[in-house]
Order: sequence, then C-alpha cells, then structure tokens
Amino acid sequence: MSDVRIEKITRPETIKLPFMLDFYPLQDEKNTKISPFFKKLKEGRLTTTKCKECGKLLWPPRIVCPECLSDQLEWADLGTEGELYAFTEVRLGAPLGFVQDVPFCVGIVRIGGLLISTRIDDAKYEDLKIGDKLQLKIVELDDERVFFRFTPIK
Amino acid sequence: MRKVAIAGGGAAKAGKRAASWRDLVQEAGKAMFENVENLSPKDVDSIFVGAAQPERFAFLSYVAPLVAEYIGVTPRKVLARTELACVSGQAAIRYAWNCVATGMSDIAVAIGVEKMYPPDMAESQTTMACVLDREWDGVNCFSAPPFFAVTAQRHMYEFGTTEEQMALVSVKNHHYSSMNPIAHFQKEVTVEAVLKSPVVSPPLNLFDCCPMTDGSAGVILVPAEDAKKYTDAPMYPIGSGQCAIGNVINNLASLTEWVPLRLAAEEAWRTAKITKDEVNIAEVHDCFTISEIMEYEGLGFCEKGKGGKFIEEEEPYIGGKVAVNPSGGIMGCGHPLGATSIYHTIEILKQFRGDVNKGRYVKDAEVGIQHSLSGAANQHSIMVYGREPR
Repeated sequence: MSDVRIEKITRPETIKLPFMLDFYPLQDEKNTKISPFFKKLKEGRLTTTKCKECGKLLWPPRIVCPECLSDQLEWADLGTEGELYAFTEVRLGAPLGFVQDVPFCVGIVRIGGLLISTRIDDAKYEDLKIGDKLQLKIVELDDERVFFRFTPIK
Repeated sequence: MRKVAIAGGGAAKAGKRAASWRDLVQEAGKAMFENVENLSPKDVDSIFVGAAQPERFAFLSYVAPLVAEYIGVTPRKVLARTELACVSGQAAIRYAWNCVATGMSDIAVAIGVEKMYPPDMAESQTTMACVLDREWDGVNCFSAPPFFAVTAQRHMYEFGTTEEQMALVSVKNHHYSSMNPIAHFQKEVTVEAVLKSPVVSPPLNLFDCCPMTDGSAGVILVPAEDAKKYTDAPMYPIGSGQCAIGNVINNLASLTEWVPLRLAAEEAWRTAKITKDEVNIAEVHDCFTISEIMEYEGLGFCEKGKGGKFIEEEEPYIGGKVAVNPSGGIMGCGHPLGATSIYHTIEILKQFRGDVNKGRYVKDAEVGIQHSLSGAANQHSIMVYGREPR
C-alpha cells in the first residue's frame, strides 16, 4: 500500500436548475426583443409577428422578416381556439424537467393559419382525435414566466 | 476538381459500451488506419470530426484537435468539427471530399463519435430535446420520438399505413443486424414482438425506435488517382444531394411528404448521372420505422403513400427492388449521432469489397447511397458511392 494520502472532497448535492437545462425561454425585455409576445400571453392573447412590408405571418415571432428582410413587424393575434392536426402521448424517454408529468399529450394545433406544436393538457391520448377543437390555456412558472398550452373543448 | 476515393475505414463496436468518448475514438482510429496500407496517421493533412453534442454528452467543446491528438494526426491543411445533428458524420465526409477534390487536402480523415449512455438516461433525452427548436418545439417535449410519432399518425391517417407495416421495417433491419458483428443489436425480432414492445409515443413502440448508442467510425479520403497505393478496393463518391427546408415544425414543407428528401434525391441522381433504378444498396436513416417507409417514397423507390405496401411486398430486402439497410440500419446497428453516417458509409465499402456475411451480402452491387436526415426531418443528405470512379 502506498503512503500517498487519499482525501475525500465534497461537491454540492443539488444545484439550482441551471439555465442550460431550462426548456422555457427567457422572456423579459432585458433578455429578448420579442418580450411583447410573453406580455400579451399573460393577458391571454396568443400572437406572433407579421411583416408590415410583405404581409408574411411569421412563426415563431422574430425581429426581421426572412422573406423581405424588413424589420417593420407588427403583432398579430392568432385567436384562442384551434383544431388538432396531429397528436401523441409522451410515455417513455421524457427529458429532465418533464419526467414528473409522464404520461402527457403533445400535438400540433392548427390556429390562425399556422401549425404549431403544443402540450395538450387535461386530455388522455385515447380520448383525442384529429380535428378536435382546442382552447388556448396559459401556464405560469414559479418565476412568473409564462407559456402557452392547449386543452380540449368539451 | 479531382476525383476522390475512400481508401478505407474502420469503426468501434457500436452499443452500450463500457468505454469513454475518447476510448471510442481511439478504437475507431486504430481500426481505420489498419484498414489501409502504406499510410500512417502522420501522412494525414486534414481532419473533420463529426460530433453532434459533445458539450452535452462528454462536456467537451473544441473536439477536432482533441481527436487529432488521440489518433496521432497533426493536420497542416484543414481541420474542423462538423455538426449537423444526426448528419454530423456525413457532413465530415462532405467537407473532407470537397477538400480533397479541390486540392486543398491530399489525405483527409472524416471521423465521427458520440457517447450517448451517461449514468442517467433522462439526461441524454434532455440533450436530444434541444435538437428541435428548443424554445418553440423542444419546450413542448417535441424531441425525436413524439415528432416521429405525430408524423406516423398523419401518414397512417392520410395513406392508411399500418402499425404492422411499420413493424415489418424493424423485423427486416434486425434480421440484417443479427448478422453484423459491429451492430448494436444481434437479435431478430418478430412483428408481434414489435407490436407488444413498450409504447414510447403512440403509435411508436420501443422496437419502432432506434436505440441510443455509443460509437465511433472513420474513413480516409484521398485523390482517386492515388487510391490504389492504399488499397486494392477503394470506393468512389460519385454524387450527392443535400437540402433543408424550414426548422420549427410550423415551417416544415409538409409533415407527410419529405420534400427536402425528394429534392436532395433529385440532386443526387443528377450529379451522379444515374437514375434511382441503378441504386443497388440504400443505407438510409431508419431512426424510426416510419422514417424508412417515408424514405422508400421520398427516394422514389415506390409511389407516394405506398411505402407500407413496399415493405409488405419485401421489395427492400436483398433480392427485391433495392436492398435497403443490409447493415441492419440505424435500428439494428445503433445511432451514435456523429458517427452514424460513417458506419453506414463503411457498410457500403464492405459490401463492394464482399467483406460482409453471406446472409446480408448484396452481390455485384455497383452503386450505393448513404442517406441521413436530421432534426424534424427538415434536412436530408445523400451521398452516392460507386465501386468504380465515374
């Protein structure tokens, strides 16, 4: 046995959820130029940017139109009711941060001329079908950030 | 532009390996160099390292010099890591090919690596979930399985594709991988076993999905005129096509027709001066069973919407219309992101050389393609290889 000393060192057992493992985007005006999207979401409005020059509706919201390079964009409401285009349920293989919610439904909703991905809350996979009407709902994180989801209209 | 050859290649055994990221690279590097004659690592002037997510999987950035160091290469011409998610390995081959073709490089290595089994699998799933647009799709838990699940659902809804047809893809690919010694899985599966395997994201079951895999594979590219110095049986890149349309789910061309695949295929046939009917071997990206069905269609091997029938009629088996994934595909061989395309490139090289088991040998093959897709299937890449230069 060598006489070299072995010293045990310690590291923190838990660390605060790091930014690099957080799926939810930063939302305030210090961190993003599309903060109005999240402000409107807090008011119950799902919006995106529309180009004032070429009229193109852009998803996700952005600050420059990729069609005509104009930076003259305006906020357009997408409405609060959509139609289910496709769906599934996450049963295995959920990432950290979502594991505790398993199983849960996700899908693609047709709304305001777009096909956007979403969580579908308050629904079982077996009860959903393509074409179902969905209602916008908002979820709020513990730090007051918000995000959109959808829920079936009974 | 010069004609280019792949002089040789080698790979680590793929699977859930008791080996680190850098162990895998060393195994692949050794196997690669031992596959060529009259060439040592010091002769290599350029290196491209396909690595999709080393920051996440190995907590490493800046991996091109690290890999060069480990496999004994001191590049003096061109080097870089190439990242294109699941296509990172083919991206490395493309850059190496271009560098040798233009004369910027005389001997270039394209090597890929991924170590996907950390102690906690949920961490790997988190890593994978930032490939699709993390802030707008990943946040809704659209990682690969849910995305390909909704793709399958729409394909079933629009074209009547069935879960049994999808299962047949898994049966075929596990059949071939059972005869492939470097594959992740060496066990056959039945339709019943696929249908009864645990549900991941309906309609996709566990055996509809490729596994996460540890692996590394590399190839060496040289000018075609020098190729016979290093091997009796080189393989020649004779054409290619690559296309991306949109990224976030809303901006895809279509969920049920992979338009970028169709366009990449048209470009591949045009540049290789072949038709789809001349393809003998198609190593395609069967990350999920539905993917391979949609690839039969997108590559034009069958009509749009008839991919399910194509596998039912055994057309993608050896002896059918075209041998699709005689390696066992990603489903059977595994999917170490940055290395995957290179494993399947080496498969075509081995097929041309007759260096595979009899049960999965495609006799007299002259043309093989290696196809990979990435992200929300919004990007497709095809390389066309010939036994002879064209």
